[in-house]
Amino acid sequence: MSEIAAGARPARRGRLSAGAAAAREAPDIRRLLQLALAGIWLLDGLLQYQAFMFSKGFSDMLAGTASGNPGTVASPITWNATLIAHHAVLLNAIFATIQLLLGIGIAWRPTVRVALAASIAWSLGVWWFGEGLGMVLTGDVSPVNGAPGAVILYALLAVLLWPADRPGKPAPFVAARAVGAPVARALWLVLWLSLAYFALLPGNRAPQALHGMIAGMEDGEPGWLAALDRGAVSLVAHQGLTASIVLAVALVIVAVGVYLPAPAARGTLVLALVVAAVIWVFGEAFGGIMTGGATDPNSGLPLVLLALTYWPTRAVILAPVRTARPGVGEGMTAS
Amino acid sequence: MIPAWILDIFAAVMLAVAAVSAARLVAARPWQHGVQRAALADIDVAHLLMAIAMAGQLVSGLRTLPDGAWEVVFAVMTAWFAYRVVRDAQVSGLRALGGGHCAPHFIHAAAMLYMFLAVSAPAAGGSGGMGGMSGMGTLQLPLLAFLFALLLVGYSIWDLDQLSGPGSSGHYSLAAARVAPTGPVLAGVGASAGPGAAAGSALASAPSSAEAAGQAEAVQVPPASAPADGRGVLAPWVATGCRIAMGITMAFMLLIMI
Repeated sequence: MSEIAAGARPARRGRLSAGAAAAREAPDIRRLLQLALAGIWLLDGLLQYQAFMFSKGFSDMLAGTASGNPGTVASPITWNATLIAHHAVLLNAIFATIQLLLGIGIAWRPTVRVALAASIAWSLGVWWFGEGLGMVLTGDVSPVNGAPGAVILYALLAVLLWPADRPGKPAPFVAARAVGAPVARALWLVLWLSLAYFALLPGNRAPQALHGMIAGMEDGEPGWLAALDRGAVSLVAHQGLTASIVLAVALVIVAVGVYLPAPAARGTLVLALVVAAVIWVFGEAFGGIMTGGATDPNSGLPLVLLALTYWPTRAVILAPVRTARPGVGEGMTAS
Repeated sequence: MIPAWILDIFAAVMLAVAAVSAARLVAARPWQHGVQRAALADIDVAHLLMAIAMAGQLVSGLRTLPDGAWEVVFAVMTAWFAYRVVRDAQVSGLRALGGGHCAPHFIHAAAMLYMFLAVSAPAAGGSGGMGGMSGMGTLQLPLLAFLFALLLVGYSIWDLDQLSGPGSSGHYSLAAARVAPTGPVLAGVGASAGPGAAAGSALASAPSSAEAAGQAEAVQVPPASAPADGRGVLAPWVATGCRIAMGITMAFMLLIMI
């Protein structure tokens, strides 16, 4: 596969090799995935401008994430929620604008590195102060309702889509280009195995656990989505244990899939896409965006994006090419 | 409630877009160059009208026309850009939907039409427009609002990417705009080139794009006959910048009216 490094400034026309010029005509998959991440950040920023976010309900929602977390984690969350409650308009406007700028910054090529780096820092902050570390320390968390937190997946995506390449290293999939295949595979394994573990937590194995989780999403949803949820609810009624085991097995298969040969890996990635889509539609109701009170599209969408970054491609060995503006990005040609 | 000053800021951006679009129309004077050339002013006319309408929706004091009139305007605009998209598609196939410039305008116009048609009764019949955004009304069929918002965000992100680098099409990038075109030059309000405009339009430098292909069929004039040079306010990136601002603002409005 021929690609130019995503986020790189174009090399001077005179310096481009014929191969690089041809490569420029081909769609750069990593850049497309970066743009998808930019779109999600932009969407998050716009959602943050919703009326609900300027109300006390937003700070109450943030304060709620402290519940069940250890004291050292919960105290800063409570402090942050109190601060936001006192300055809701100003702080929320700043939050929304930051997220809007992150999206624009990733989409604007000269600022892609700065914006991706900032998005990692911002994601970690939001993951703690806004999502209570995805509630992963509380024992009351499920992959069906957003574990391990959408925003930590944004950070992971920013790392994996970083516009750099490891010279001389074959990149079997996009996520391996910046961090290398072993690290990328390990990150994938940890993520999906942790999801499998969460699926088997006692709270999720209860007969009506999944039923209750999906039924809880119906409030405020449009009729057709509520009807979909009701259909799913009837399917999983009293089937909590079975559903948890099936889900966990699927998640484990997905987790180890990236270590399999490309054809099998593609199969497990399709499974990952299906699982993520099912979670997004039935478990998360598109993040509750259609209720007017969502801060993001939840974890289903970033999981889809993540799976696409691991889609096997023809391995390429990337060699650096001089760029027009050093420091902004490195142009790469396939060889 | 969304603070009024936030809505004021978005409305101010829309007024700026309207002013820039009007300036582009005045500078290009498309009405002096025949019906076909005048038709190519559609982008700037669309930007002008949509920006005025959105400013009026955001701040009720800026309302200009009744909602019914805007519905007619945007219905006509949607039909026009649908026609342009179909024509582009006949030339370029499905690329017209992604790489062409009529598809985003079609989505913009359709989203505006939807916004005016679907806003709930209290806002539509009340102070006009921003009722939904300030908690007094919402959009019916929220799935449509979500889908439109996704498309608008997607096109805005794509425009930003293309504007900041050559990308795969490169027909309106800042970088491409500095390249001197050779041979016949495509004319248009947003992409016209004149005698002294070798630096001219990015559109002219990428005749393979869906947009260029579509326009090449309609209007292909020698540089000497073109009235404007594609620089300054007529530079293609100015129109694209307006489109990005409108796309983001429109997505904002759709999401807060859900």
